[in-house]
Amino acid sequence: MKSFIRRTMKITVLTLIVVGLLAPFLILGMSSFAHEWRWPQLLPASFSLRAWTVVFQDSQLWEALFVTAVIGMLVIVLNFLLGLPAGRALAYEEFKGKSLIETLLLLPILVPSLAIGMGLLFTAIRLGMADHWIGVVLIHLVPTLPYTIRILRAGYENIGWKYEEAARNLGASPFTVFKTVTFPLLFPSIRAVAALSFVISISQYVLTALIGGGQVITLAMIYYPYVSGADRPVTAAFSLLFIVLTIALLLMFESLFLRSRKKV
Amino acid sequence: MFKNPWKKCGIGLVGIFLVAIFAGCTNSESGQTDEHSENSASSEALLEQPWEKTEAAAENSQVNLYMWGGDEGVNRYIDNWVAPRLKENYDITLKRYPMDITEVLQKLQTEKRANKETGVMDIIWINGENFKNAKENGLLWNSFSDKLPNFKKFIGQDRADLQTDFGTPVEGMEAPWGKVQYVFFYDAAHIKKPPQNFIELAQWVKENPGKFTYPEVQDFTGSGFMKHLLYDKMGRDVLENELYREELTNEHGDAVWQYLNDIQPYLWKNGENYPASLTELDRLYSQGEVWMTMGYNEARAERLIEDGTFPETTKSFIMEPGSIGNYHFLSIPFNSPNKAGAMVAINELLSPEAQLEKMQPSVWGENTPLSLEKLSEADQEKFKNIERGDSVLPSEQLEAAYLNEMDPAYTEWLKENWMSEVVQTTH
Repeated sequence: MKSFIRRTMKITVLTLIVVGLLAPFLILGMSSFAHEWRWPQLLPASFSLRAWTVVFQDSQLWEALFVTAVIGMLVIVLNFLLGLPAGRALAYEEFKGKSLIETLLLLPILVPSLAIGMGLLFTAIRLGMADHWIGVVLIHLVPTLPYTIRILRAGYENIGWKYEEAARNLGASPFTVFKTVTFPLLFPSIRAVAALSFVISISQYVLTALIGGGQVITLAMIYYPYVSGADRPVTAAFSLLFIVLTIALLLMFESLFLRSRKKV
Repeated sequence: MFKNPWKKCGIGLVGIFLVAIFAGCTNSESGQTDEHSENSASSEALLEQPWEKTEAAAENSQVNLYMWGGDEGVNRYIDNWVAPRLKENYDITLKRYPMDITEVLQKLQTEKRANKETGVMDIIWINGENFKNAKENGLLWNSFSDKLPNFKKFIGQDRADLQTDFGTPVEGMEAPWGKVQYVFFYDAAHIKKPPQNFIELAQWVKENPGKFTYPEVQDFTGSGFMKHLLYDKMGRDVLENELYREELTNEHGDAVWQYLNDIQPYLWKNGENYPASLTELDRLYSQGEVWMTMGYNEARAERLIEDGTFPETTKSFIMEPGSIGNYHFLSIPFNSPNKAGAMVAINELLSPEAQLEKMQPSVWGENTPLSLEKLSEADQEKFKNIERGDSVLPSEQLEAAYLNEMDPAYTEWLKENWMSEVVQTTH
């Protein structure tokens, strides 16, 4: 009897979760095909492919998808290059001014990017990085790196340095330690960092527009103007495209990791 | 504690990154001055030389057009009609970049401060407040519009309605591209006879509680609604082409607020909430929650009806004392790398053919700034014969009701007081 109740409860909760997760997608999908969908109709009166035609007829769509994906992946790579050492240092080391540095590293997400956007553009112009994708990649570090460092620091703190020490005592080189001990243990944090920095990077509009000067056209540059319009199907179609892009990247990341783990 | 190979490396990398960013601030500006003088010298000449020379200079060049990209009809018009035409006729490659005017101006402002004399934008789409800011901050190139053959032929410098843009003298710094008028839209399935003036509108609102609202004053369309009310309460002769007078707002202000307070309880959500933008009002209208919407561009409902956003029974109306209209313009930034190309492209956008195509309801639908009487007989016929659609009022009616934008100081006055006079008052 007890187990029956537990099972029904389990199933109910699971169904609720699945419905709660899937319903927004279903509604988005339906809106993107809806022709006339007015309250109080439960389903659209008729369907059309117009919104998707608009999306795929955009002369810059394919270029934008490519640019968005490449910038997003470079942002992930840079986040690891800078975030892994920084997170580790903050987790394991004690040094003078540590809390100051921590606050400094967190600042970019506390200050709205619009407020610093102009100053960053000014600097980018001086450095000759304005209107160029390199500048955009670097500027996307501003809203992503603070999160990365936080997440990786927490990850390192969870593992503790003793595993690494043990491996080192057994004669492993720092690189082998990282590859066989730290990386697999840290993987949940690493996955979170990859997903988060990618999502943040692809949804940047203001920073991309300012530093990229409109010359670097990402998906957000095409999509955002439509959000300010009343055209719901087109907005819905673009939103789905965003989601698909993110999922594709995460799947790719996941499969890469699985393969590397099999080799070990 | 064991030796940590990552520590130094990590702090070092972050350090290098920070240094690189701050170092940028002190970089020298050498190399930019030469470019600057050369650029401005040749651009001055552009305004003196015969048009053929400008066309020749523009040949085989790229022109970057920066404009808001949220309307696929407009985007398609530029990409599929204008761009191929410029390529064919002048060997100009027109590239459209979607960017909001706010970011465009921020960017230009920063480039100005950084002395970047060779930018990336050749043409920007601008009007009103933004034009005022750009002009006052020296972000625009020069007075160029009367050098364009099509401007000279079909518009001319003496048009009374084109001397100012929302009160800011135009002085040739921008060339008019389109003309829109403020109209109200209603669903004829629910409303048989739309109101003819503000008194009838108030009656209608009270008879149909919850079916009307207007965007809040911070929204362009919201302040537009209230400006019509100002015209109604203060009178046309003291507002049109006149400067702001404080005694007018002192004298008539109460009547304006009283009207808005009077209808407030009968608005959508009992007037406790106002839509934050025209987009929100349009959504309410498209969902059938309210039965009226409004806005600049008398023809904007056509395509919304076609794609199913607005009900097919959507029609438009204007009320006494008239319908405020304005123009939007194209301009050339101070640091455009291809000013000759920009001039040729703008000239082409002002051609009767390009304007005619733009006015088709399936393309864009908005009105032209060209003076029809200056066109050839054949072109006049074509403009008159455009089927603008059932939701668009006849052009005679629109023209007869045309009201100029008033001094922007009145908009400021509305923005300063609406919240305290209307929203925060209790009933």
